[in-house]
Amino acid sequence: MKQPLVLLPRRLHLGLRTSPSYSARSSGRSAMTPPPILSLVLPSETGRVLSIQSHTVQGYVGNKSAVFPLQLLGYDVDPINSVQFSNHTGYPTFKGHVLNGQQLCDLIEGLSENHLLYYTHLLTGYIGSVSFLEMVLQVVERLRVVNPGLLYVCDPVMGDEGKLYVAPDLVSVYREKVVPVASMLTPNHFEIELLTGLRITSESDGLKACNILHAAGPSKVVITSLSIKEKVFLIGSHQKVKGQSPQQFKIVIPKIPAYFTGSGDLMTALLLGWSNITLRKHQSLQCQVYRLCCSEHWQITRPQVLIHNRAV
Amino acid sequence: MARPPILSLALPSETGRVLSIQSHTVQGYVGNKAAVFPLQLLGYDVDPINSVQFSNHTGNLLYTTFSNRYPTFRGQVLNGQQLCDLIEGLAANDLLYYTHLLTGYIGSVSFLDTVLQVVDRLRMVNPGLIYVCDPVMGDEGKLYVPPDLVSVYREKVIPVASMLTPNQFEVELLTGLRLITSESDGLKACNILHAAGPSKVVITSLNIEGKLLLIGSHQKLEGQPPHQFKIIIPKIPAYFTGTGDLMTALLLGWSNKYPDNLEKASELAVSSLQALLHRTLEDYKAVGFDPQSSSLEIRLIQSQDDIRNPEVKFKAEEYT
Repeated sequence: MKQPLVLLPRRLHLGLRTSPSYSARSSGRSAMTPPPILSLVLPSETGRVLSIQSHTVQGYVGNKSAVFPLQLLGYDVDPINSVQFSNHTGYPTFKGHVLNGQQLCDLIEGLSENHLLYYTHLLTGYIGSVSFLEMVLQVVERLRVVNPGLLYVCDPVMGDEGKLYVAPDLVSVYREKVVPVASMLTPNHFEIELLTGLRITSESDGLKACNILHAAGPSKVVITSLSIKEKVFLIGSHQKVKGQSPQQFKIVIPKIPAYFTGSGDLMTALLLGWSNITLRKHQSLQCQVYRLCCSEHWQITRPQVLIHNRAV
Repeated sequence: MARPPILSLALPSETGRVLSIQSHTVQGYVGNKAAVFPLQLLGYDVDPINSVQFSNHTGNLLYTTFSNRYPTFRGQVLNGQQLCDLIEGLAANDLLYYTHLLTGYIGSVSFLDTVLQVVDRLRMVNPGLIYVCDPVMGDEGKLYVPPDLVSVYREKVIPVASMLTPNQFEVELLTGLRLITSESDGLKACNILHAAGPSKVVITSLNIEGKLLLIGSHQKLEGQPPHQFKIIIPKIPAYFTGTGDLMTALLLGWSNKYPDNLEKASELAVSSLQALLHRTLEDYKAVGFDPQSSSLEIRLIQSQDDIRNPEVKFKAEEYT
């Protein structure tokens, strides 16, 4: 017989202790079937994203830059914060702590124990060490055991404008192990050169680089910024059927006389967001990115990326 | 080189810059996962300090009527020193000017003591800082934090809080009023709290004579009788997690936009929350799940329009 229910907004109880690492089994009877994950069970044009990126208390980089836009686009986002820093490293100092591989595993285990590992997307950005990147690769496998259709959107953050800002040994890990398992890759000019070994000085070089990446793994590649002969482009490439020629396009982007932080992380999130939403409506990546660029939602007052739309 | 200004402070705005110290769960909408997105939707820049990072929450431990939704969780807890480090890092970069501080569930006296130091630090930089405190201690007669936190909240936190959002059980603990069984008891409790500290008190849920109420109280001038009101809330046949954290965030969000009109702020917050709960319930039913068999995850993302622009369906009645 059901007890009469007293119906009040509920609060969370976490049963915390102050030990640095904690795993717990709460008291109570054995678990009944937990409720379904509605973001997976109900029809939706969005999805459920696991986003493994940095967290800074102040500032918009990493998960601070990626999660909110995806939530605005209707995604349920589960962020794993690979670090928690006071602010990003563009400032003279920062303080905080870093998640190690074991702690990342713990979080995945916790999700796994509760049957919470079904994700439609995985999103990664800046990763600071080979060991963490190796762990991320294991996460990709775990997630694909649960959902073989998982889309892995990878921003292979390594450097910019000819300068590497990660440890050099990450490059080969990205090239040899990550690219083959990525569904969509969003490198910049420097990163795609590192990944393909190509020196890119023309648009056709850019397209060739995309083809190399398609052959190695991802069906979607967006080179988020290519600097060629004084112009800045985005180049997109979608290989819809393996082995066939990809559909390729460019968008000319105006040069803005300023530097911004977080715009790369934001761009990758937006690409994930729109490339999934418009999947059912418009089959071409070209249309998806077009919509992204034209969308009024993304008139952000701070980093203002105005894009002239000229599809090839 | 000159450091850029913090635009959320330098440009005119009806919102602000919130430091929110709460839990982070990878999956689920509680703590910062329930509070940050709504505040961002309302136009606030929110700086979250994650006091823990757990894989998930466990649902509702308070009731053994049904089992915990998720029997286990794993993760890491921030200790007081690590909290201090983050504050130090912000201080070193002149990033400690906040308009608001928001806290919710805190699991230990030592962490709560450190939070009190944070309040002091922030008020040195901005004496006008508004501290919105949800004094999470328990519900329905059951304590779910260590008992020694109660006196810390009562003696040290209340005096420095600007707005407090206790539930019925918590306001009883904080005021020593044994049991609140009438609306006038609730108003009396608010008066006690005003005298001790906060100028704004919202008792987020009071169960009185079979009815569910929110009571709000705003003492606009020290020593003068506060402006008090209630909102009758419908009873929903289900349990949810994260609604308390969400409610406090909404109250912060709206009360800053209407600083002299706590009624309006509460109407907006209640209306948003009710729309979200209703949607959550309907969505679970739509997939054939019995909403009474477990506590439910709120449909926060899917209710963003209700958060940004709620249709006010619940009106406040003033106490004269």
